[in-house]
Amino acid sequence: MFDILIKTLRTGRVTSKYPIRQDIAPEGFRGKPELLPDKCTFCGECARVCPPGVIWLTKEKGEEKLTLSFCGCIFCGMCEEVCPGGAIRLSQEYELASKTKDDLLTIIRRSV
Amino acid sequence: MPEELIETIKKEFRNLILDGTVSNNETYLTVKKDAAVRICDYLHHTLDFPLISIFATDDRAKDGCFKIHYVFSCKGDVFIIIKIKVEETTPRFATLTHKIPAANWYEREIQDMFGLAPVGHPDPRRLIHFEDWAAGLYPLRKDFDIRTKPDRVKGEYTYRKVEGEGVYEIPVGPVHAGVIEPGHFRFSVAGEPILNLEIRHFYTHKGVEKLFESVSLDKAVFLAERISGDNSAAHAVAFCQAVEKIAGIDIPPRAKYIRTILLELERMYNHMGDIAGIATDVAYPFGAAHANYLKERVMQLNEKVTGSRFLRGMNAIGGVRRDIGDKKDMILKELDLMQKDFKELMELLFNSPSVADRIETTGRITGEIAKGLHVVGPAGRASGIDSDVRRDHPYAAYSELTFKVPVLKTGDVNARTRVRADEVYESMALIRQALSDLPHGEIRTELKTIHDGCALGYSEAPRGETLYWVNISNNRIERCKVRDPSFCNWLSIEYAVLDNIVPDFPIINKSLSLSYSGNDM
Repeated sequence: MFDILIKTLRTGRVTSKYPIRQDIAPEGFRGKPELLPDKCTFCGECARVCPPGVIWLTKEKGEEKLTLSFCGCIFCGMCEEVCPGGAIRLSQEYELASKTKDDLLTIIRRSV
Repeated sequence: MPEELIETIKKEFRNLILDGTVSNNETYLTVKKDAAVRICDYLHHTLDFPLISIFATDDRAKDGCFKIHYVFSCKGDVFIIIKIKVEETTPRFATLTHKIPAANWYEREIQDMFGLAPVGHPDPRRLIHFEDWAAGLYPLRKDFDIRTKPDRVKGEYTYRKVEGEGVYEIPVGPVHAGVIEPGHFRFSVAGEPILNLEIRHFYTHKGVEKLFESVSLDKAVFLAERISGDNSAAHAVAFCQAVEKIAGIDIPPRAKYIRTILLELERMYNHMGDIAGIATDVAYPFGAAHANYLKERVMQLNEKVTGSRFLRGMNAIGGVRRDIGDKKDMILKELDLMQKDFKELMELLFNSPSVADRIETTGRITGEIAKGLHVVGPAGRASGIDSDVRRDHPYAAYSELTFKVPVLKTGDVNARTRVRADEVYESMALIRQALSDLPHGEIRTELKTIHDGCALGYSEAPRGETLYWVNISNNRIERCKVRDPSFCNWLSIEYAVLDNIVPDFPIINKSLSLSYSGNDM
């Protein structure tokens, strides 16, 4: 009994104050993928390798559109790995909950 | 040794073996259909090789037949695969279950997925399909389209009946309190002791094996990773090794060591989590809180090392995707701290009379039952089954590292808890060795071309032996058979609970640490 008390007191509190205080994910964390529009060449390599198929490259009305949905994203980082221009990178962002599906889409465009 | 072994078998069954091929450490023997039971019986009972999987393939496009493979794990890092052909016109094969009880679920699985009936099976009910699934639809046959949405039909499922004065049934599930997956447990009790338990699973069949056939090799790694969420690394490694074996790739030594470290980190957090669960169920919340805290520390370490708490996205065909060499000091420091805490906690846990009272002699699985059902992993080792894939069929860097395989005999919850605790120390020691011997160099070999072929990939997941049999044809997966340890271990719970009281069921269940998802994929 005494041992338990000692171990408990020695351990102290181990939980963090999240969400009152922000918990920062470590470097190299596989978080929300970010698209950098100025580096993207719209080659579509990311869309080809994406295992759950949540990146789409579409063309409509003289415009190229790259859409990434976080709904099915598995944060594997394959897109980041194959991107020749370094236009996709996994960030340290992990707070993705949202009330609308549109919030879970990232879209970049360029006119052709 | 392997050659002698094959010669012995060939001599014994000269006229019954039609063909034999050897690739790597796997020997495929095609035998006459009606001789399979005799040969398997000989391998299992005379030579003492465990039956580790039975699966079917649909080769009708190639030679007009289905094939059934019986996989045996042999001494000296050898696998023997007995193959029989089953014609479409006579979709039946003789059951092996009365000789080897471990064949039970495999044969029923083949019946549901391929429409090949095990003749003489003691329990020929459906296993995976529900009563509302139309007869004559077999999902793993090649002519079954993955997009098929069959209409539901009416049907009924009959449970085993235990009758007598004062016998009551307690149905539990399939929906449970808490965030776990669905499974139905039907207890028959007379007073407190359990007379019979029948489990019913496969409520969330996802068709993963079928799905494998339509994804590319690179993407398939991620599918394997998600079959059993907390055994991600073990599944990914087993799959990658099967493909690497077919392609003839030898992955860089550094990648082998990194894989070993990942697999041991996975074992650590799983075992700590299981110990926490057992502590919760025996009403020892202090132990549960501390064990959960330790588990969380390993998971946070995973996150710092790989970017994923579940070690996902690290394995790839040909090696690993990220180097972890620069994290060496951090891992070693954290391991030292955790080992001290874990040791203190285990001393308190095992010296607590209230814990001992609940776990000693509870949920006993005898060595005989464990052997018959081929119970794997810590649950098997707690019942005296001295097997560990890491030692018996070394992969990754295990052949270059030293470790002990803890084996206990009593087969109760206590033994299963102690085996896990001992394995945590072994894992810590393995990680230290792997980090100090970490070779320099590349972490990944590129897979350029892959020829047609098939191979077994295997790993010792925290729950036990995980097996992948992959067949590649024209750069795509023709068949991928996944055998998760839980598929072997689930049936053992029906034996473990007998004569125990109902309130001990949660502890027994937790101590076996069974996965719903890995079982029903």
